[in-house]
Amino acid sequence: MHGVRKWQSELSHEILAAIIDSAPTANVMVDGEGRIVLANAEAERMFRYPREEMMGLGIEQLVPERFRDLHRIHRTGYLVQPLARGMGQGRDLYGLRRDGSEFPIEIGLNPVETQEGPFVLSAIVDITERKEIENRFRLAVEAAPVAILMVDAAGRIALANPESARLFGFSVSELIGQPLDMLVPDAQRGQHPALRQGFIANPASRRMGGGRVLHALRKDNSEVPVAIGLAPLNTPEGQLVLSVIVDISERVAAEEKQRALNEELERRVGERTAELAQAIEALTESNVELQQFAYVASHDLQTPLRGIAGCAQILESQYSDAVDEAGRDIIRRMVQSTVHLQALIRDLLAYSRIENRERPFMPVDLNAVLTESLALLDASIIESHATVTHDPLPTVIGDRTQLVQLFSNVIGNAVKYHGDALPVVHVWATPEEADTWRISIRDNGIGIAAEHLERVFEVFTRLHSHKAYPGTGIGLAVCRRVVGRHNGRIWVDSVPGEGSTFHFTLGVPASTPAQPESEKST
Amino acid sequence: MIPVTSTSDPETPDPLILLIDDNEVDQFLTRRAFAQSGFRVRLETVDDGDQALKFLRRQPPFESAPVPHLVLLDINMPRMGGKDVLRAMKSDETLRRIPVVALTTSQSDRDKQEMYDLRANSYIIKPVDFNAFVEIVRSLCQYWFRTVTLPPN
Repeated sequence: MHGVRKWQSELSHEILAAIIDSAPTANVMVDGEGRIVLANAEAERMFRYPREEMMGLGIEQLVPERFRDLHRIHRTGYLVQPLARGMGQGRDLYGLRRDGSEFPIEIGLNPVETQEGPFVLSAIVDITERKEIENRFRLAVEAAPVAILMVDAAGRIALANPESARLFGFSVSELIGQPLDMLVPDAQRGQHPALRQGFIANPASRRMGGGRVLHALRKDNSEVPVAIGLAPLNTPEGQLVLSVIVDISERVAAEEKQRALNEELERRVGERTAELAQAIEALTESNVELQQFAYVASHDLQTPLRGIAGCAQILESQYSDAVDEAGRDIIRRMVQSTVHLQALIRDLLAYSRIENRERPFMPVDLNAVLTESLALLDASIIESHATVTHDPLPTVIGDRTQLVQLFSNVIGNAVKYHGDALPVVHVWATPEEADTWRISIRDNGIGIAAEHLERVFEVFTRLHSHKAYPGTGIGLAVCRRVVGRHNGRIWVDSVPGEGSTFHFTLGVPASTPAQPESEKST
Repeated sequence: MIPVTSTSDPETPDPLILLIDDNEVDQFLTRRAFAQSGFRVRLETVDDGDQALKFLRRQPPFESAPVPHLVLLDINMPRMGGKDVLRAMKSDETLRRIPVVALTTSQSDRDKQEMYDLRANSYIIKPVDFNAFVEIVRSLCQYWFRTVTLPPN
């Protein structure tokens, strides 16, 4: 006490005591012999001594027994070379309470020159709480199911958890203190220090490698794909980097498998595309064939038609007086037929360009279509003394001109291909599904042999000599394309010698389900 | 409405037309259409391109053939087609001046383009309807023999 008064010659004892007492850290001053000459309230509280007991107490009494000898040596050394510094940097220090319990501390030292020689003022902080937090953090790291490494600023492994040991194939003790680079494959080792320095210069939690797959090197020299997360960690031991390393070999394998699957898929798509391209090429060829046909038709069919039509018109306009009424009727029919033929050729040309110039589908009354078709076939019906009957027909959705083509082609065939008996043709409709009608056209003609049932719908297929049954061989091909364009089907049943029945399906307009005529409300 | 006379000057001979068409019925109908048009024309006909060039060049058997005022040219003909005839005429110093009207049933865009590229003076699609054809012949005569001044012979 005597020394303090001397040291503090200018301040009053009361003021000094008040200042030191109010300090939030424990303050203890010792003389050259290591005796406590000053202790503040916080020091009393921390070490649980009454002040009067503390005064004159050897400082080593506040140090756990096992450290006392070492402490004494350090204290003596400090007096020889007294510098303000933290005590025991890098080592754990403990305080000893009066009741014998220990607690972790941090100490700051300051030399004080007095008339009685060098004193040392120490500020002591109880770091129990911080140690506990650190401990909990360590426990969490230990127990973490992912590999965690802590790396110091020099690039050495400061902490490794068991999972990281498992991942890298080392033991934990083999990792601690070692340079991190031993876990980096050769290929990446060159860039790693720069990356690490970059992170320390600008520390922020982030994913390492910008999403690229990184590789880590194992003890057995094998490499494992990993994802690495980095976080800066400020500790009393300096700036550390916490890195969390996840083994992503399964994910990489899954991605590899996925990529292989994708490649396989792409290859197959490529194959199919090539096949499609070939099919399209074939289709284009057949389309070109059809257009060539249309071109030929426009000239070679129209030329004789013009001849007939022209002559018939001249006959009608200038020579009608030369014949009687029956003759004039025939001339009139002739002119009409040429007009019909002209329309057919025109429609055939339009049909050949069907892909480009589709007419919109409308509700079409098949009764009207049938009437129109029969008018077109008037001449051949009269000539062959054919009888065409029909049940009431429904309204369907479609292209009226094409449906007339369809009906007149099928009925025209029915009338044309007759045997010895006079042709008898019947047309009726049956509901096939809620939205579909099946139209059937039955004749009593020569029929079609079973092996030709499919072929008749192919373009330019002719089963008979021109002399027996003249024709172009396109009629039923046109039918098939018309029905196909209406999303329907066309087929034929036939018994050679007894007759054929052609069937095709057509869709109904929206809101009028197909049902038999007798079931319709009137 | 049918003009009674073809020319105002009785001294001027009727215009001469060379019809090049391989189809006999077409030749007949064209002749008939001109007759019905009311215009008086002289209509010479040849059956194909080969004969047409012989006629125009006065080669045997057409040594005394007159120079036509107008050529009506079908496109689709056996052996030498209409395009070959047109090409030959338009590359001939004297024949190139004779107006050539394509008279065809072809509605193909390619034919139209090629014929005009070869310097056809008009392209007429023959209608199937005869009365319509007569009307076309009438307006053709009106244009080439009443409206237009033809090159001097």
